[in-house]
Amino acid sequence: MTTTGPTSTTPLVELHEVRKHYRVRSGLSRRPVIVQAVNGVDLAIDAGEILGLVGESGCGKSTLSRTLVQLETLDAGEIRFKGESIDVARTDDLRRHIQIVFQDPYSSLPAHMSVRQIIAEPLLIHRLLRGAELDQKVDDLLVNVGLGPDFAARKPGQLSGGQRQRVGIARALALDPDLLIADEAVSALDVSVQAQILNLLRRLKRDLGLTMLFVSHDIGVVRYISDRIAVMYLGEIVELASAADVYETPAHPYTRALMDAVPSIEHRGRPRIEVRGDPPDPKDPPSGCRFHPRCPMAQDVCRTEKPALREWWPGRQVACHFADECLAKSGAALGGSDRVPDGVHS
Amino acid sequence: MTGAANVTMNSTPLPGRTPRVASSMWRRRTAVVGLLGLAFIVMVAIAASWIAPHPPGQTDLSNVLAPPVWAGGDAANLLGTDGLGRDVLSRVIYGARSSVLISASAMLIGGTLGLITGLIAGFFGGIVDTVIMRLGDIQLALPFILIAIVILGMLPERRPHHLILVLGVPAWIVYARVVRSRVLTERESDYVQAATTLGASGFRRIFRYILPQVWGVLPAIALVDLSNLVVMESTLSFLGFGLSAPDVSWGQILADGRGSMAMAPWLSIIPGLAIMFTVLSINLAVESPGLETRRRLWRLPSRRATRPAGDTHPSMKPAGSAALEQPEDVLLSVRDLAVDFQAHRDSPAVHAVRGVDLDVRRGQIVGIVGESGSGKSVTAYAISRLLAPTARIARGSVHFDGTELTEMPERRMRRIRGRRIGMIFQNPTGSLNPVLTVGFQMVEAIRSNRPMGRKQARALAADALRDVGFGNPEDVLRRHPFRLSGGQNQRVMIAMTMVVEPELLLADEPTTALDVTTQAQVLDQLRRVRDEHGVSVVIISHDIGLIGEIADEVVVMYAGRVCESGPAEQVLLDPQHPYTKALLSSVPTPEVIAAGNLEGIPGDLPDASAIIPGCPFAARCPAVMDVCHIAVPALLPVPAGQTVACHLYTTEAEVLQR
Amino acid sequence: MALFLLRRTTQMIVVVICVVTLVFVLLRIAGGDPARLMNAADASEEVIAATQARLGLDQPLAVQYLYFLRSIVTGDFGRSFHGGYEVRDVVFAALPNTVALAVVTVLVSTAFALLLGIGSALLRGTLLDRAVQVYVSLAQSTPSFWLAVMLVLVFAVNLSWLPAIDFTGPISFVLPVITLMVALTPILIRTIRQSFVETLERDYIRAARARGVSNARVLMIHTLKVASLPLITLVGLQSGMILAGSYVVEVIFNWPGIGKLAVDALASRNYPMVQGSVLIAAVAFVLVNFVVDILYSVLDPRIRLGAEA
Repeated sequence: MTTTGPTSTTPLVELHEVRKHYRVRSGLSRRPVIVQAVNGVDLAIDAGEILGLVGESGCGKSTLSRTLVQLETLDAGEIRFKGESIDVARTDDLRRHIQIVFQDPYSSLPAHMSVRQIIAEPLLIHRLLRGAELDQKVDDLLVNVGLGPDFAARKPGQLSGGQRQRVGIARALALDPDLLIADEAVSALDVSVQAQILNLLRRLKRDLGLTMLFVSHDIGVVRYISDRIAVMYLGEIVELASAADVYETPAHPYTRALMDAVPSIEHRGRPRIEVRGDPPDPKDPPSGCRFHPRCPMAQDVCRTEKPALREWWPGRQVACHFADECLAKSGAALGGSDRVPDGVHS
Repeated sequence: MTGAANVTMNSTPLPGRTPRVASSMWRRRTAVVGLLGLAFIVMVAIAASWIAPHPPGQTDLSNVLAPPVWAGGDAANLLGTDGLGRDVLSRVIYGARSSVLISASAMLIGGTLGLITGLIAGFFGGIVDTVIMRLGDIQLALPFILIAIVILGMLPERRPHHLILVLGVPAWIVYARVVRSRVLTERESDYVQAATTLGASGFRRIFRYILPQVWGVLPAIALVDLSNLVVMESTLSFLGFGLSAPDVSWGQILADGRGSMAMAPWLSIIPGLAIMFTVLSINLAVESPGLETRRRLWRLPSRRATRPAGDTHPSMKPAGSAALEQPEDVLLSVRDLAVDFQAHRDSPAVHAVRGVDLDVRRGQIVGIVGESGSGKSVTAYAISRLLAPTARIARGSVHFDGTELTEMPERRMRRIRGRRIGMIFQNPTGSLNPVLTVGFQMVEAIRSNRPMGRKQARALAADALRDVGFGNPEDVLRRHPFRLSGGQNQRVMIAMTMVVEPELLLADEPTTALDVTTQAQVLDQLRRVRDEHGVSVVIISHDIGLIGEIADEVVVMYAGRVCESGPAEQVLLDPQHPYTKALLSSVPTPEVIAAGNLEGIPGDLPDASAIIPGCPFAARCPAVMDVCHIAVPALLPVPAGQTVACHLYTTEAEVLQR
Repeated sequence: MALFLLRRTTQMIVVVICVVTLVFVLLRIAGGDPARLMNAADASEEVIAATQARLGLDQPLAVQYLYFLRSIVTGDFGRSFHGGYEVRDVVFAALPNTVALAVVTVLVSTAFALLLGIGSALLRGTLLDRAVQVYVSLAQSTPSFWLAVMLVLVFAVNLSWLPAIDFTGPISFVLPVITLMVALTPILIRTIRQSFVETLERDYIRAARARGVSNARVLMIHTLKVASLPLITLVGLQSGMILAGSYVVEVIFNWPGIGKLAVDALASRNYPMVQGSVLIAAVAFVLVNFVVDILYSVLDPRIRLGAEA
């Protein structure tokens, strides 16, 4: 049911009913409460695609990506890699195949190591290369991420944010991973540098055939780099479709709200979709559809019955009771154009 | 979310994780003195048997309580003799040997134990951590000296190794606590997590990643511990539980001399001075710049640097400022404003703002947009004179409703802040005092600016909160800021700022810390505030879309200068400056995505401490000309309708004039 | 709140039990057989055996330990080897003297440190700041026992202004309190200064100034309320330390408190007395810190109400 990508072969990574809840305690008197960070996520990443994962802070997108690199353990569900279920025993082997680039280019590199040492680290840990071969590989990686071998002797403190992030990418690529996770990897960068890094990732995908999970709160950035987009809200995926479909004709009211809230000169004086308040507390999620208290289209059924993420149109999954109405509105907002999809976009 | 976007205010605007380096000469000098003193004591201790004029235990009952040379004694006993006729100088020299040997060895033992247990407790956590730290708590609850005395008291004879163990072993907890807390922070840090994802084993993470970071805190703790040990050792000796004869220690010399205090005061004074000299040397050595220590905070920028605008150069004020016409309704007019940051007298000045011109009309929303390091936030803080203590206004003028603000005394400036110029900040939760309720802070803000009773102010505060969309203002007033979300706090900040009806509102990245759906609500509030109160707003952001949506006028800044300014539609839809063009094509908007690739801008910002003779964007500019490297382009109107600072639009004559 | 109190109380009880155990073990190992110590050196084996039986020392160590625990719980600390006084009576007679010294010292030191700490934080870089720094360095380098001896030498022996030793009324407080104050204030001043400097750099201080709040209010309400929180912990720690460990000062000034009692008892191998005074000192320390912990949690709304992130 989850293999909805453009290829019909086994996806590279499949998530089944993945769940991660935290217990947190706050205040002197209160008992620990459960935060439902990730609450039953089904997702498949096909080989060779860039899947964008977008959502606001606290929606669970980072937790989800951290479970993939085993920085978090699952509470329930299953992750399959190349069709095989991941278990703890294979952790180290798996780590060679899934790598991650972190958000903060300042804290994610050890300050006391040189660029060469940082990039060589994964190769040394897995005893893959040594000596001259290792040096050559590090130089190649540096060239590949647009830095060049003369950066090898520097320490992270001597690099700019963009350069550091390139080092982080080179380190992640050292093991030739099958899947690269970019967890808000460009969010801390200025737009002019962000564009450079986005273009670098696109080039790497093209040149190396890399599969990527690109996590970000910025829907414009996600749209630019992704083939498909998954939208997360309060620990659940609410919409999953091709990037163009999600971006241009969103079929979930939350996606619409998210798109509409992005400020732009085009929005001057334009009425907004009414989404009030902050996202609810993940410690105490609303009944029924988790978006219903803020949803402009909410009906009685939304308060009581939770909509399942289902395939409303081929290649397009939405978790909303009124996805068709929502899509119609999006199409109308585009000026009644012929962009309302009736089938697959790829 | 853009963490790097706004780091310029409280820290140096240079990239990097380097801590604030307190490189005051004075500090280095005291550290050198301390290290020299320490080296001297260690040399004396090592060379004791050669330099001491007499054996320390040699008694001479014919020459008891001989005075030191300055009190009429002879040269054979420079510091006199004690009650048994032993040479005081020799005993003090041998005392140094005991003191150094015992303290240094005890320090090594305690340090090693503490480092190991601290690493284990911090890295493994859980039950191991609990057990180790509880043991430490229990040990700390015991009166240390008393336990030491109990143990030492039962020994028939006390040799150095006894003291080393008794003093050294209990010191583990001091190291263990610091190491553990450091390991706990490092363990959760991104770079260690990154190592985990690379497949690094726990062993490798400890020794290759965490230890090098923890290492740095040890010398400072070790030195502090060492000075405690020196005192502790002499205290035990003084109480009669130190080294047994024939070993000598300073505390023992003092205890021996105490009985004849009235007749021979030097016997009490000299060993005390020796201890004090040693401990003082160690304490001064802790100040070494290389050491990571909390005492750093002693060395903050001197107050001299905090006087704002103390040395404005009137001659540097641009002659052209009068030439620029100022229409009647201009509320705020900034001319050639420049701000420098300087952490210390001997560190290079960082030119955060290099000359900014800005006009804000009544009721207008002006957006300042730029990337990090552009100086946009510093400009706002300079206007309200809330710059960090390390910053100063180097030149330029800020005219607010006909008054010059840069030279206004702080006392008068305070009556303008809040009352006439309101300000909201990037971090809404951090901008409210965490231990005071929202109500307390709102009432305080109102009563600081308007003569009003407490009750009346509270009612006004509730109304203001209702205005920004809170359905239950009474409840919000009773809450502490951390019980509200970031978006709610920002609306509280807007209400609190607007309730005293300022004429100008400075909003520094007001929505950067918020999610987009929350951001939209805050923007709506800002717009309403302008429409209903007619306030002028200066909004600062790195987000071009946001500025485009809300601002009437746009000012684009790069590296401390204005590149381009004018009506929002004009600047953002028909940009003239190469930087504005490049910036706009770096943002993934629907239009840019439809057009294909993001452009990006190759290269990085120029060094903020460099003097740039030409256009700051020259190094990254696709349309760069020779003139761009030698002359600063003037901000001039162009035919399209905005003003642009670019040589593409200046004539050669204008360049030559400058 | 109840849950928190329960947790803290349990923690404290565990610590106290461990302290009691440690004191028991230490004194049994270090002190040797109490029966031999209690009797004359040449006492016959029968006499010693009789004493052992009376004290329960012929029982296995574990049983002895339980006896020991029982007597502690019932408040029976045994009898002094010398004079046969109830240890409990002697210790509780000495306790108020130590408490009085601790209270006066802590009050004076805190006031003094607040003045210098806040002053140097506000006037950082000035002459006052430098002078405070020199005081801190010197005070930190001065061993208490030496300072005490020097004070006696100057003020009692040479000038005869103040009583050197013994407790003769309020005037007797002067020299011991000065000695302890010099030992305590350096760290207090450092902490206060640092806490103030850090708080003054916070966003909310700048925001309060931007709102036009007066300097006095920014300082006395916004800064002091936050910056003084770490001080509570430190003052608590120090009160506990004086209660538990002002041995040197008490010995030199002949102050009839717990510390002097313990050192005297040790010198004469009067182990029940040592045991009693160590226990009381340790329990006092633990109790003070327990109270401070709770006070801190109640005073800081972030802890009380649970701030997140």
